[in-house]
Parts: sequence; C-alpha cells; structure tokens
Amino acid sequence: MAEPSAPGRSFDQEALPHLDTLYRVALRLTADPTLAEDLVQDTMLKAYRSWRQYQPGTNARGWLLTILRNTFINDYRRRKHEPVAMDLEAVEPHALYRSIQETDPEGTFFSQIVDAKVLEAIDALPPEFREVLALSDIEGLRYGEIAEALKIPVGTVKSRLFRARRQLQARLYAHAVEMGYIKPRETAP
Amino acid sequence: MSRLDCEQALDHLQDYLKRELTSELVVEVRIHLERCRDCAGHARFEESFLLMLETSARGETCPKEVRARILAALRAEARGS
Repeated sequence: MAEPSAPGRSFDQEALPHLDTLYRVALRLTADPTLAEDLVQDTMLKAYRSWRQYQPGTNARGWLLTILRNTFINDYRRRKHEPVAMDLEAVEPHALYRSIQETDPEGTFFSQIVDAKVLEAIDALPPEFREVLALSDIEGLRYGEIAEALKIPVGTVKSRLFRARRQLQARLYAHAVEMGYIKPRETAP
Repeated sequence: MSRLDCEQALDHLQDYLKRELTSELVVEVRIHLERCRDCAGHARFEESFLLMLETSARGETCPKEVRARILAALRAEARGS
C-alpha cells in the first residue's frame, strides 16, 4: 500500500510540467490573459490542496484539467462576456472544401494564416466548442481523455469537435479571402 | 463489410487523421482514399487544417512572471498548512 502522497516534491514533479497546457487552455476558456493567469493560479492551489486525492500514476494532466474546468465554471464564467456565436449549423459539412477545391485544394492557405489569427478565431467559437478543440487539436489529448476530463460521452466529444472544426474552417476561410490568401468563391447567379 | 461511399469516408476523415478510428474503419477509410482522388484531396486539406491547429499555440507558454507568482503562492500555501 503506497503512502498517501504528501504535497511537495511529487506535486512539483507531476503538476508543474503541465503549467503551459493549463495556461493555454485557460486562455481559450476565458479569452482573457489576466483571467487566465488567475484561473491557472487558482487551479494549481486547489490541486495542491487536494493532492492527496490524486492517484499516483494516473493521468495528472487530465486531473488538473478537470480542476481547471470546474473552477472556470464555478468562479469565472459569470465574469466575462461570451462572444456572440456564429450560427454555422446551416453550413453543409463539407461545403468549404468543395468551394476551394479548384483554387487551393491542398488547403495551403491555412499555413499562411498567422498564429494569432488562428487563436483569435478559436476564441470566437462558442465555449463548449473551443474547449474540445483546444484539448484535442492543440494539446493533443485523446478523445477518451477529453471525455473523462469533461465528464461527457466520447460521442459528444466527437460531434462537438466535428462542429467546432467546421465553424473554425468557415471563419478562417472568410479571413483568408479577406486577406487575399485565396480567391473568393464564385457566387452562383 | 461493405465499402464506404464518399459521404461516409468524409464523415470519418478527421477521426481517421487524428488516429481515433477502430482498426476496421481505418482500413476502410484507407482503401477509399487510395481509390478516390477527390476524397484523397479532401484528406490533404483536412491534414493542413489540423497541422495548422497543432502549431498555432506553439508561442503560447505560461509567462515567466506568472509561473513565479504561482510557485510563490504554492510555497506560501505549503508553509501555511
């Protein structure tokens, strides 16, 4: 039987390496650097205080992300204004690709968009979308890990990701047209 | 198992690229992509998109002064408890 781990060295070793991930996810959730800093600090303090509940050898990153998320929902969500969600549910799932198939079939325009613009577009997504997108496509968590951290079924993770990516593609497409990275699609008469 | 049509293959495309499909489905999608230029093109497009996302936050790290502040708060907590 392992001793219950006392906070201290083991906490530093297990939790501190995930600080950048926590900070990035906090940025996506709050869309506000100052709030993100406070959120990460609150998360780390809470994690430290409940370190005895952490099972050594399990997924520390997922455990920390669950705390981050609960803290955000309980203490932070009311403190900020949510961006107005763009309703793209009417967009056909694969319409974007079809519209650029002729001009930029490989999607090279994606690599021209500067990081800051990509992050800005992500932060403009509805919160439940940017959350799964950040965890999966930026931080590289498996769908199963995300489901566990957010306490939702894997199927929900998948469908949110699908819709999140579709919305993001539509936003980035609009940006790329605006910047002249790609020619606008010909509108049917 | 029946072969996937384009619509089905496209629906699985992102999960295929994220390596989140069952091995059976991976084979089905791969077979479809080998045979269908259109969907293979679409796969490259989605790959560019996912690659862009992976690297988009590479410059975002927890600022040094925030890290220091958090460490100080943790140390204070340790002394207090």
